[in-house]
Amino acid sequence: MEEQNAIEVKNLHKSFKVYLDRSYSLKDFLLRGSGRRKEVRHVLQGINFSVKKGEAIGLVGHNGCGKSTTLKLLTRIMYPDQGTIELKGRVSSLIELGAGFHPDMSGRENIYINASIFGLKKKEIDERLQKIIDFSELQEYIDNPVRTYSSGMYMRLAFAVAINVDADVLLIDEILAVGDVAFQAKCFTKLNEIKQQGTTIVIVSHSLDQIERICDKCYWIQDGKIRAEGNPREVHSQYLEFMAKSNIRCESDMDRKIDRHSGNQEAVVKAVRMINEKGELTDTFTPGENVRIEIDCFASRKIEDAVFGFGIFSLDNQEIYGTNTLIDKMPLVIEGDVTVTCQITCLPLKQGSYKLDVEIHTPFGFDYDYWRDYMRFYVRSTSTEAGVLHMERKWNHFPTKLDGEKEEV
Amino acid sequence: MNTLKEIWEYRTMIVNLVRRDLKGKYKGSVLGFFWTFLTPLLQLIVYTLVFSVIMRAGVEDYYLFLFVALIPWTYFANCISVGSGCIMNQKNLVVKIYFPREVLPISYVAAQLVNMLLTFIVLIAVLLVSGKGINLMVWGYLFIIIFVETILALGLTLFFSAITVFLRDMQYLLSIVIMAWQFMTPVMYSVDMVPEQLRPLFYLNPMTPIIVAYRDIFYYKQAPELSTLLLGIGMGVFCMLLGGFVFEKSKKRFAEVM
Repeated sequence: MEEQNAIEVKNLHKSFKVYLDRSYSLKDFLLRGSGRRKEVRHVLQGINFSVKKGEAIGLVGHNGCGKSTTLKLLTRIMYPDQGTIELKGRVSSLIELGAGFHPDMSGRENIYINASIFGLKKKEIDERLQKIIDFSELQEYIDNPVRTYSSGMYMRLAFAVAINVDADVLLIDEILAVGDVAFQAKCFTKLNEIKQQGTTIVIVSHSLDQIERICDKCYWIQDGKIRAEGNPREVHSQYLEFMAKSNIRCESDMDRKIDRHSGNQEAVVKAVRMINEKGELTDTFTPGENVRIEIDCFASRKIEDAVFGFGIFSLDNQEIYGTNTLIDKMPLVIEGDVTVTCQITCLPLKQGSYKLDVEIHTPFGFDYDYWRDYMRFYVRSTSTEAGVLHMERKWNHFPTKLDGEKEEV
Repeated sequence: MNTLKEIWEYRTMIVNLVRRDLKGKYKGSVLGFFWTFLTPLLQLIVYTLVFSVIMRAGVEDYYLFLFVALIPWTYFANCISVGSGCIMNQKNLVVKIYFPREVLPISYVAAQLVNMLLTFIVLIAVLLVSGKGINLMVWGYLFIIIFVETILALGLTLFFSAITVFLRDMQYLLSIVIMAWQFMTPVMYSVDMVPEQLRPLFYLNPMTPIIVAYRDIFYYKQAPELSTLLLGIGMGVFCMLLGGFVFEKSKKRFAEVM
């Protein structure tokens, strides 16, 4: 292992036997011996990477691509079939929060249990106890049984323990969504602080945003191999572009449609298209682009008060925008096949993935047809603008004109 | 060797899990930890009533005769029947966090051991109160036999808890096996009652020498025979090695099959 590296992963292979019959009991064993119906799934097919000391890296990829497996191999919960993993120093994983918590025991007692599971000795826990209590903001409740805590308090305590383990290598899996916004911000600050102190961090997350905020480097894992690596923002835009085009997503779109569909069906949405400014059918756009949403519908009878609407949501279901023809004062009478379009002249969204809801309803909100999460679309750009919006903007600069100067001149 | 070193590194975890087990068990009940003593005491009262009033056995102080064997038997039986599920029951920990897997069976057995030692306090009190008395001269053997039983119980718990991960039925099967096992072990009777020709067979049961030794120490107040001790040690060590080997070989795949 090279001197400056904290993690070296070479040629990692891992496959699982997936048993197709649901359970395996003694009866099966006696009746069929080991002849269970199974298939071998090659989850990792030669992963190589190395992480320098104090560096933070992110692993992204769609579900089942092997990123969580990679993390589990790093944690030594599982072991590779082939290849080697070398780690330097104490490894701690924030994969499961609140491991071993006993609901009837006090917060303080649970700190000891939880921290000891992370491999801390009694003396080390004693030293960290105050820091953990302070971080969790549970001072006055710390001697109450954990079952009396709210879920937010529970997660705060759990996170406080995990983050104070002082590992050399910290492995994190999808856990940064704890507590309220203020506590999340605190966790991020703490993570950054830990990083500054020289801890090596590996994060697996679906939230590309989180990775961009913490990581120096990102690996995109696709079908058990590293597809791209480098600056998180660049890797992410390749990833988003790929996701927009991949079949995998389309299949899952179909799955989604099955149970996100409600209404009395007197008018039905037949298709929804998003068209970019070149007039092409796509679901990947750039911020500020001219986008048209087209909704094909069929009304089985003459409907004189149909309201068409759409809503844009982030992947964590925050409503970003929503409007309809009632709000925009455009009364519609429909019968038979009708196409309704809405032109958005300047798409005000920054880079990310979004969900689109589409609906036809009465002015009183009674649904003819309502599609939640009808489709996903992607906005990609290499700009690092923050927040949720994209604004068209222009910077300028010139010498400040002061009132006094004017008089002198 | 590395495994042993690592288990030592995680000793705090073992201590905390044992504490959680013992303290958490009775949390929320009015009498709390006092149940640890109350349960065996009430059990003893039941046995005394049944065996000295209703069903008189031909053994002097039969309730004590039974009780001194039943305590170590319960320790062993719990380790096997409940302890076999100790990995499965902590699935959340095993699939999410790294720690030496041996910690789970070790802490389960340790918690049961502490429980038995606490029950011995009740036993000693009863022995003194009933006038049976104790013989401190043979107590050195007590520590040896507790150690031997623990080695045996840990070995088998390692063995069965690993197997249970791969074969869930093991747990249910074991609860039946342990019941039959109790009848095949001289807990409710003495070895002398066993027909002569069957006796060698009885000594193939690793629990036989252990129960015989406990009874020698507490009930007959005499030192166990050396052959009994050696037999117990031999079988205990064998089970420990077997259990340790099977566990070591299979532990890496725990997280995958759970």
